[in-house]
Amino acid sequence: MNIELLPLTGVRSVEGEAGDFTVHLTQAPRYIDPEKCIACGECSRKCPSKVSNDFNAGLDKRKAVHILYDQTVPLKYAIDAEHCIYLQKGKCGNCAKVCPADAVNFADTPREFSVRVGSVVLAPGIRTFDPSAFDSYAYSRIPDVITSLEYERLLSASGPCQGHVLRPSDGTEPKRIAWLQCVGSRGNNKCDNDYCSNVCCMYALKQSLVTADHAHGEGHDQAIFFMDVRAHNKSFEQYYNQAMDKGVRILRARPHSFLPGEENRGVRVGYVNEAGEPLSEDFDMVVLSVGLEAPAEAKQLAETFDIKLDHWNFALTDPFDPVATSRKGVYVCGGFQEPKDIPRSVMEASAAASAATAGLTKGRGTRTAEREVPAAVDVLGEPPRIGVFVCSCGINISSVIDVQDVADYARTLPGVVHVENNMFSCSQDTQVAIAEVIRKHRLNRVVVAACTPRTHEPLFRETLEAAGLNKYLFAMANIRNHGSWVHATDPKGATRKARDQVRMAVASARHLAPLKEVTLGVTPSALVVGGGVAGMTAALGIAEQGFAVHLVERETELGGNARMLRVTQGRFETAPYLASLEKAVRGHAGITLHAGTTVADVEGFVGNFVTRLDSGTELRHGAIVLATGGVGLKPEGMYRYGEHPRIMTHQQIDAGFMDGSVDPKALQSVVFIQCVGSREPGRPYCSRVCCTHTVESALHIKRTNPDARVVVLYRDMRTYGQRELLYKEAREAGVIFSRFSLDHRPVVDVVNGTITVTFRDHVLQQDLTVEADLLGLASAIVAPDVNGLAQMVKATLSDEGWYVEAHSKLRPVDFVTDGMFMAGLGHYPKPLEESVTQARAAVSRVTTVLSRTEMTLAGTVATINKAKCVGCAVCWNVCPYNAISPDEKGFAEVNEALCKGCGLCAAACRSGAPDLRGFTTSDIMAQVSAMLG
Amino acid sequence: MSDTKANHPTKLARPSGLSFKDKVAELLPEGGNLNLCLTCGACSAGCPATGLEGMDPRKFLRMAALGMDEELTTTPWVWMCSMCTRCVHVCPMRINIPQLVYHARKSWPEDKKPRGIVNSCNAAMKTEGFSAMGASSEDFKFVVEDMVEEVRESQPGQENLEAPMDKHGATYFLNQNSREPVTEPDEMVPLWKILNMAGCDWTYGSVGWAAENYCMFEADDEKWEQIVRTKIKAVEDLGCKYWLNTE
Repeated sequence: MNIELLPLTGVRSVEGEAGDFTVHLTQAPRYIDPEKCIACGECSRKCPSKVSNDFNAGLDKRKAVHILYDQTVPLKYAIDAEHCIYLQKGKCGNCAKVCPADAVNFADTPREFSVRVGSVVLAPGIRTFDPSAFDSYAYSRIPDVITSLEYERLLSASGPCQGHVLRPSDGTEPKRIAWLQCVGSRGNNKCDNDYCSNVCCMYALKQSLVTADHAHGEGHDQAIFFMDVRAHNKSFEQYYNQAMDKGVRILRARPHSFLPGEENRGVRVGYVNEAGEPLSEDFDMVVLSVGLEAPAEAKQLAETFDIKLDHWNFALTDPFDPVATSRKGVYVCGGFQEPKDIPRSVMEASAAASAATAGLTKGRGTRTAEREVPAAVDVLGEPPRIGVFVCSCGINISSVIDVQDVADYARTLPGVVHVENNMFSCSQDTQVAIAEVIRKHRLNRVVVAACTPRTHEPLFRETLEAAGLNKYLFAMANIRNHGSWVHATDPKGATRKARDQVRMAVASARHLAPLKEVTLGVTPSALVVGGGVAGMTAALGIAEQGFAVHLVERETELGGNARMLRVTQGRFETAPYLASLEKAVRGHAGITLHAGTTVADVEGFVGNFVTRLDSGTELRHGAIVLATGGVGLKPEGMYRYGEHPRIMTHQQIDAGFMDGSVDPKALQSVVFIQCVGSREPGRPYCSRVCCTHTVESALHIKRTNPDARVVVLYRDMRTYGQRELLYKEAREAGVIFSRFSLDHRPVVDVVNGTITVTFRDHVLQQDLTVEADLLGLASAIVAPDVNGLAQMVKATLSDEGWYVEAHSKLRPVDFVTDGMFMAGLGHYPKPLEESVTQARAAVSRVTTVLSRTEMTLAGTVATINKAKCVGCAVCWNVCPYNAISPDEKGFAEVNEALCKGCGLCAAACRSGAPDLRGFTTSDIMAQVSAMLG
Repeated sequence: MSDTKANHPTKLARPSGLSFKDKVAELLPEGGNLNLCLTCGACSAGCPATGLEGMDPRKFLRMAALGMDEELTTTPWVWMCSMCTRCVHVCPMRINIPQLVYHARKSWPEDKKPRGIVNSCNAAMKTEGFSAMGASSEDFKFVVEDMVEEVRESQPGQENLEAPMDKHGATYFLNQNSREPVTEPDEMVPLWKILNMAGCDWTYGSVGWAAENYCMFEADDEKWEQIVRTKIKAVEDLGCKYWLNTE
């Protein structure tokens, strides 16, 4: 309601400054009135103009009047003027003739208008690299060489072949498929993209794994040609291992060029394996894992908003303020900041939201709208007066199902007092009409027989509310998705089924009771646990949003791991930033610092937490941010750690660089060993920060002392994204990178005070020995023991000890429990700039809770019939939200503020004590009885 | 942890001064990108000499990176490189491996270099046309004229075939690998036919007519530069606009 979508709109110019911008916009004509369009699709079906479908990477056709894809937001059609026969030649007009909503408007014109805003967030996304530039990969010449985006569409159930992949050359199913990584990434030959695109390793693994899962029968093969597998983020390494377990071949080789197979079908791939032997294989298809580039409009956007871009036309940002552009009040998130995956983009979006609103807190709520809902009439004690609305959905339903018959049938059902058939039940005018009918016939239950409640239930519930009816007095029968669509060839059967579905929905409706939604007050303050960069950033951000913050830090000093970090992103010094951050935190009146103490106990729920500290202080707060950090592993027993003072972890080396005890000028030969304690059977994850950290240290040595020899022994260099440029710089400076496998680990010896390292060079396949004046061990980042805290706040920890988010992609900073959020290393190892981003994201999420004076919780929660409860504990053990606990007598009791209405308790209880409001056992039984007739 | 003991590892000496690779890098634009190797193997996958002498371009460059200069400057593999530059063409980092090979060749003493290449270079330096086969310009001219006449007489439709020699002001100055006139003269004819069919105004020249430059393959800078400069002068002396070298 408070988001105005402006599709087809471009920015002409911007005036003003942070806090008061005027943005001049031009909205291109849509030729379809979005207010009228009901997205029935009739226009598109009748449109004779077929156009290459960009959304499916040009692999199939769409119509000139179209929606981009099925889930398009807003779900409204649009006419592509360039290909519309009427708009080009004045003929046709089919769409206007068939549109039942009279939504087509050929006279539509561009609209120029302006908006006044306090901040701007730029999120134009990315584009994929065009591989035509590489003649050797023959993308333009061999039909079965395709891009990963094309393959993604081929693989998609909503794609041009409904997910059953067919290769372009002859339309047959490809069995042997190869992927080639880093096409348009990590190279400056025929392109200028020497950064890493960050997402391609994982999408290739995903595509290969999905392909392997779908492959049936003999002869299937998936092979990925790569340089380094960059499975660096949370659970990525496990996913990589899963792909290998499924038989996906991971080939560390780069083919020189692709040759067409016989009759230009399939692809012949020649490559040299790790041992240096030339091999040749025939594949049915080759997928080029194309990299990500700044969007085409980046330069113009930068000019319009007067922001700086980097060398590759991504928005220039600073690691300590990663969502801020060079212009105050203009923020950035997503791929335009740097190529990145969904979880990081979503985090960054929240971070941008908090950054963009930090300066606008005075105006919060002044320009937002709230929906007016009339008080609901009391229907308790009334006999059911059910209204049934049978939808034709244009011809979507009515072309198969006899909707008139279904409507006539509905009239015969007990409790039904009004029935009608609508062309489109969901259209705006029908909503108004339904509300009138509810009032006129004093309906106290409503059944809509149409499509899926997943998309339309909220809409109809709003209509009930508008008509003064409790919104839970509503039931839906999905006669489209479960009827006309799947039984298109059997109209009679589909009609019979629709009758059954309506009878069940009516039976259910008779059992529905109005539900009350609980309203809770909100304590407008937050608790932040952990005083490292993430915790301090979160605390400062929440305070800037105008809320009180309690920052709890176990140690007496603030700063956490960052105190041991020399630089981030190669040359940004950490210490000055840390000092200014700490100063801001200590100086902010809204932040109460509780240092040298820990959390003893937490009670309550979203909006209303009560926390007791070890110091005895009791705190009341509405939200929690856990920023408890990570710990560098002490690599005891590995690579002679502890046997020589110059065998050090990377944190120790950084500390040595900073206090002068490690002097690069005094070093002639330095060796670093990567993955010390990471990516091992006992600790199978990637610690993510160590490759970049080592490269930073190696570069520091080379910059200070170019004559020093620096050797980095690694397993995969995971300098993802623009960190690749540091890796490149290190190679350019002469740092030698040599790969080892777990079968041939480097061997460290200390003889007469001299450290020697022996390793097998992966290219020469030869054992080499070097003396080292300093041996750096890139030891793992591990989770500290936070079990106690996690139990207090009912947070879930992964096997590895990281906080588990509500959804790894869509809710990457939320705990499952409402009102609780995470930031920093406690979630997963990450570089400083990503901790800052996640902390800012947590600020945004906290603000969504604290900016409300009260919270309304859904009425569909569980209740316990204590007469039936035996206190067996099954329900509170299965409840994923910790919403059930024993009362003083030992019987189960539901905390409605925590309950999500999932129904696990009701399903698990042996004595039938729990029931789920809105989906009761008697309701289900009534439907079953009705179905059985 | 199952540390494996290495068998007879090669000890890398402590760094001392510039390595062979560093010296070569100083001579090349952008240092030939010699340090930037990602060890991806694309070069080796496309190299016709991969596997010969247990070597390939990736290994060769790796030895350079590791400062194994002794092996680098003595491996006979450098003489198997055809300087085709397929490796640079696909290298993500555009590493100039052929130049590294070239400079490794240069470091060989003349008497150790492959006799075939050295003799070919020396033979070329003795003739006006720089023929590695030692063919004189007179012989070349005779063979060409003889061949033209034969074709005109024996092949219908080719009565007007021409293969001019020292034609002043021709647009194209064409070189000819001297193997053909010496051993397979009829193999010169198809190109003549194409040029004539296309209406090209072209000529051979008695000075610098041979296309090959074995002195370059020998990595003898002085001699191959002399050959190239003389050929350029020959092109200019005849007033030709373009120099076509088929090698």
